[in-house]
Amino acid sequence: MIWMSWRQFRTPALVGAVVLAALAAYLISTGLDIRSARDGYLAQCHAAGDCPAALSRLAGDYRTRLLLLAGVLGLVPALIGMFWCAPLIARELETGTHRLAWNQSVTRRRWLLVRLSTVLLAAMLVSLAASALLTWAAAPVDAIAGDRFATVNFGARYLSPVGQAALAAALGAVTGLFVRRTVPAMALTGLLVIAILFVMPNAVRPHLMPAQHLSRPMTAAAIDEARGLGTLGSAPVVRGIEVPGAWVTDVSELLTADGRPLDSRTFNECLMHAPKTGARGTFGDSSPCLASHDLHLDIAYQPNSRFWRFQVLETALYLALSALLCAFAVWRIRHRT
Amino acid sequence: MPAFPGCSSISGMPNPHPVLRAAALAKHYGRRRALSGVDLDVPARRIVGLVGPNGAGKSTLLQLACGLIEPSAGTLSVLGARPAADAAHLARVGFVAQDAPVYASLTVADHLRMGARMNPRWDAPLARDRVAQAGLPLTQRAGRLSGGQRAQLALTLAAAKRPELLILDEPAAALDPLARDGFLRGLLQSVSDLGASAILSSHLLADVERVCDHLIVLAGARVQLAGDVPDLLAAHRRIPPGEPLPDGAERIHGAVVRTPAPAGAAVELSELVLAYLGRAAR
Repeated sequence: MIWMSWRQFRTPALVGAVVLAALAAYLISTGLDIRSARDGYLAQCHAAGDCPAALSRLAGDYRTRLLLLAGVLGLVPALIGMFWCAPLIARELETGTHRLAWNQSVTRRRWLLVRLSTVLLAAMLVSLAASALLTWAAAPVDAIAGDRFATVNFGARYLSPVGQAALAAALGAVTGLFVRRTVPAMALTGLLVIAILFVMPNAVRPHLMPAQHLSRPMTAAAIDEARGLGTLGSAPVVRGIEVPGAWVTDVSELLTADGRPLDSRTFNECLMHAPKTGARGTFGDSSPCLASHDLHLDIAYQPNSRFWRFQVLETALYLALSALLCAFAVWRIRHRT
Repeated sequence: MPAFPGCSSISGMPNPHPVLRAAALAKHYGRRRALSGVDLDVPARRIVGLVGPNGAGKSTLLQLACGLIEPSAGTLSVLGARPAADAAHLARVGFVAQDAPVYASLTVADHLRMGARMNPRWDAPLARDRVAQAGLPLTQRAGRLSGGQRAQLALTLAAAKRPELLILDEPAAALDPLARDGFLRGLLQSVSDLGASAILSSHLLADVERVCDHLIVLAGARVQLAGDVPDLLAAHRRIPPGEPLPDGAERIHGAVVRTPAPAGAAVELSELVLAYLGRAAR
């Protein structure tokens, strides 16, 4: 059975290996590029004595390229689900060969288990290799940037891609079992995987562990650190609030001392007709005007020290979902024809 | 329409080890009844012909027998156990599905290797001989074989498992007369080599007449007639319509009458089948 499973997987595996090899070559050359660029900057800056600035220029040089690479690698699970796993059962059902396979001296459940294990293992190995290469290539830039929880980057480093690939693989196989036709199963798998990879970082990841909270007084200086002021609905909000060494997951609207949102009339008054104070911050006279109302923000955040716990939790969640899907398929296949 | 009463008793002696035994077996697809109220008792070491018009439920019955689908109601046991009960039971039943599915991208040799890897009782010499006899090139991809060659490959895979029961769903349907002749000869050879039983469905009466010694007539989702061919022939006579019938005789359709009395003339198998199909269609 293992031989048969491998024999049927041989062609897709070869295609996958070729794609992976091309990707690996590019990642390695990028990693070497980054390292030689870093050494160049460091050699220059030691002489000039402004290394932090030089390093942030390095991060700036490669940020876009690395983000694109993370995005491309983010598609790997969807591709694995679509091309390796959706046809796994769908094609058998579509061409009728399940009637041949299921009448060998191997129970249907064992047949499915072996076939699932083959693609799951391959999917996880491929994504592990891709993730390890990208993590290595980006390491110098990641060390400077410090935004370890950034949506795209977090999901493209270390363990998380392995979990994503396992879930995509299981999802592809199960979709094939129910859709029973190869091309629709592939399309549906692609959509589902992309939906999951969108929902996970935006709706699930912030809540994997209870967030820590802090209340930040909105002094004129604190307001000037923000990227924008505005209203969301009718509530005044501050955008672009950062907590050093942490991932901000939620920021309240501007709150007054008694914990109620600032009324928008007062807010607009400060924006439009602030008393002249000669303040020179980002928001000029508006900052001291708002600060005079004794405002604060409730900020929910996840400290960067939780990075590994988040990686493990998220990967475990993906793997658990994948295992559930596989168990469901194995339970269900006895009654499928 | 009512099931023909006593159809399973025509075969005479009840067999202690039936290859196939069904009681009140039914299979529905949504509201459509593919099979209903099927009672069967097929003795061992027979070549069973399953005949009936298209849509009569032949494929359904065979797929139930090999465990590919599950009954909606009633019970079915094959070689004394639930179909496809476990790996050991799967090994005892060989199945060639309708239009003989094979993996188009794998070669003939790959298929034999698959058979060897997935069946503990695989008979490699038998498989090699059969493939050589049928003239199948080992390096040919199965997708490029002709219909007849594909059927031969599928039969080889099923036979080299050394099953106790071979089930074949319309195995010769797609073949031209010459290929069909070769296929049926191969089938008879395999069954006698294996000492196995076989059930094959066909809508070609001539094929069934040629190879089968037990008959099941299926029409309108029900069993119309079942039994060993000599018993069936002995239990029916040809008495033209209008002529008086012996005591206890029952006119089936046209001139065919079910009676143990030696009245009228002997019937032929095809005549008998057509009479039961005609009655079912009435």
